[in-house]
Amino acid sequence: MTNAGPVRGNTGKVGAAPAQKRWTTPRNYRWTELWLLLFPSLFMLLGLVTLLIVTGQHIDLRAKVLPPLLAFTPVIGLLIALLGAHVALIFVAPDADETLLPIAGMLSSIGVLMSLRLGPDLNQPSLGSKQLLFVIAGLALCVLTVWATRDLKWIRDFPYTWAIVGALLVGVTLVHAGGFNPSAPSRDVLSIGGGALSFQPSEVFKICLVVFFAGYLSENLKVLSEGGYRFGPLTLPPVKNLAPLLVVLGLALLIVLFARELGLAVLILGIFLAMLYAASSRLSYIVMLGGIFAVGAIVIFRIFSYARDRVSLITQAFDPKVYTGAPPLSSYQIVQGLVAFGSGGVFGQGLGLGHPTFVPAATTDYVAAAFAEEFGFAGLLALIAIFMLLLYRGMRIATRSRQPFNQLLALGLTAVFGLQTVVILAGNLKLMPLTGVPLPFVAYGGSSLLANYIIIGLLLRLSREKA
Amino acid sequence: MDYQALLALRIGLVVVLYIAVLQVVFVARRELRHEVRAVAQGQTRTREVVGHLIVIDPGSAPLVNGAEYDIEPITTLGRSPTNSVPIDSGFVSADHARIIYRDGSLWVEDLQSRNGAFVDGHKVGAPVAVSPGSILQIGDSRFKFTT
Repeated sequence: MTNAGPVRGNTGKVGAAPAQKRWTTPRNYRWTELWLLLFPSLFMLLGLVTLLIVTGQHIDLRAKVLPPLLAFTPVIGLLIALLGAHVALIFVAPDADETLLPIAGMLSSIGVLMSLRLGPDLNQPSLGSKQLLFVIAGLALCVLTVWATRDLKWIRDFPYTWAIVGALLVGVTLVHAGGFNPSAPSRDVLSIGGGALSFQPSEVFKICLVVFFAGYLSENLKVLSEGGYRFGPLTLPPVKNLAPLLVVLGLALLIVLFARELGLAVLILGIFLAMLYAASSRLSYIVMLGGIFAVGAIVIFRIFSYARDRVSLITQAFDPKVYTGAPPLSSYQIVQGLVAFGSGGVFGQGLGLGHPTFVPAATTDYVAAAFAEEFGFAGLLALIAIFMLLLYRGMRIATRSRQPFNQLLALGLTAVFGLQTVVILAGNLKLMPLTGVPLPFVAYGGSSLLANYIIIGLLLRLSREKA
Repeated sequence: MDYQALLALRIGLVVVLYIAVLQVVFVARRELRHEVRAVAQGQTRTREVVGHLIVIDPGSAPLVNGAEYDIEPITTLGRSPTNSVPIDSGFVSADHARIIYRDGSLWVEDLQSRNGAFVDGHKVGAPVAVSPGSILQIGDSRFKFTT
């Protein structure tokens, strides 16, 4: 009875604990995280030096002159922002996962560097600084999320509220945008405002949906794994219990389809199937629902001409008529993207030495092509490896959580990253129809970056032991 | 000159990317090894001790004055022998009170006992946080919290 060992436990400061003495251990200073943050910093510095040397050479078609001040600001700013987030996490969540921030930081540094490099070529020399501002705001939001979700109750206990919040966000935007407008470029339908302050609620919508699915599924775990009617080896899902879920899913898909965000629709479906499978561990549900969705996809393919156009763009990409067509129906972008991937070769052209701006939307949809042209196949593989690490950490957090809601939430949020990466990379490589899904952290764009950092914040929170 | 510098930088950039990946993999491997070792040694669930209770007045219960009890994240007190700290006294309910470790401090919660629990002389209503040195009274037995 008298083993006076060290006092263990978490070091949170929360609660009305008496002030004199504390039952705490020494603080965890997250040294691993600090060490891993060295690599994004190193990458940014090397990239900066490269860009400065390249811009010194006035040769046609090379990167245009980048004012040193505009180049230094993002690099130094990013380092300070990452260190700031690190220090904040020491105080807010000392026991959270220590690799998530460096992984997100690495991807963000690639994103800022690409914006920095592509900006001058697109006559937007401040593109890198803008992207940096988004990253700083994102990091702040990430720490804020970790802090605000110390108690997960307000997220966990109101699934319908979150579904409604998400639907309202997107619905209002849709009405604001004037509803179904067949001539607008598809990805811009769901955005509020214009110019630098435009905001795409669909990014937040994804998070709201994941929270809803996690909340609903975790409350109905038992019913789901027991199943409904049986036909021999087939077990039908308990439709009565699934109904609210399917209604929300259907509404979400309808909204998204009317906004013609096919990529978002694929994303939502994928997240739903992943979470349903994790919650019920019944492959038969997935096969059945997958079948229904396949039929739905065929119907949509018949009804909506834009879905047909998307597919024909990749099946007939090299047809000269399609290649030279009017912009929404032209495969120019897809073919130029492939050329960019190809001209990168194995080791790439070198940062600032390629011509990635021949591809339309090189900073957003085609940032992977721009990256691959300058860093080559080797660089692209490393990029994919970093994304795989991100998914690994997310899945690990999911498997280590003790409560069903936390597990499902971590899984769903990880699936958001994974599916987005796959959909846009496959689109860039002409493996599936191109859709306007941003590559997480790397593509230029504020809303997506902010949403991704909120997800990182939630994952950090879920990785804490005392869930 | 510039060409060589650029070539070196080009290689350096990709190498940094791969080193970053490897470093995260090393961190993950280290964690997994820790876990495997913990499982092999059967230490996945070590008993956590977050503080101690010292008997300072046994009262009518058969407790030893000065005896020290470990406080675990959830410690129960009561007359029933299944409690972490069994207090066999007529003034004590079967499941009398419990001590919970949360957010870096210990909390005493009265489990609707007949005679109540007292911290530093005050009856416990809602769970109350205690600090080292606080006195806990259950029935007519008194305990002191230490780290």
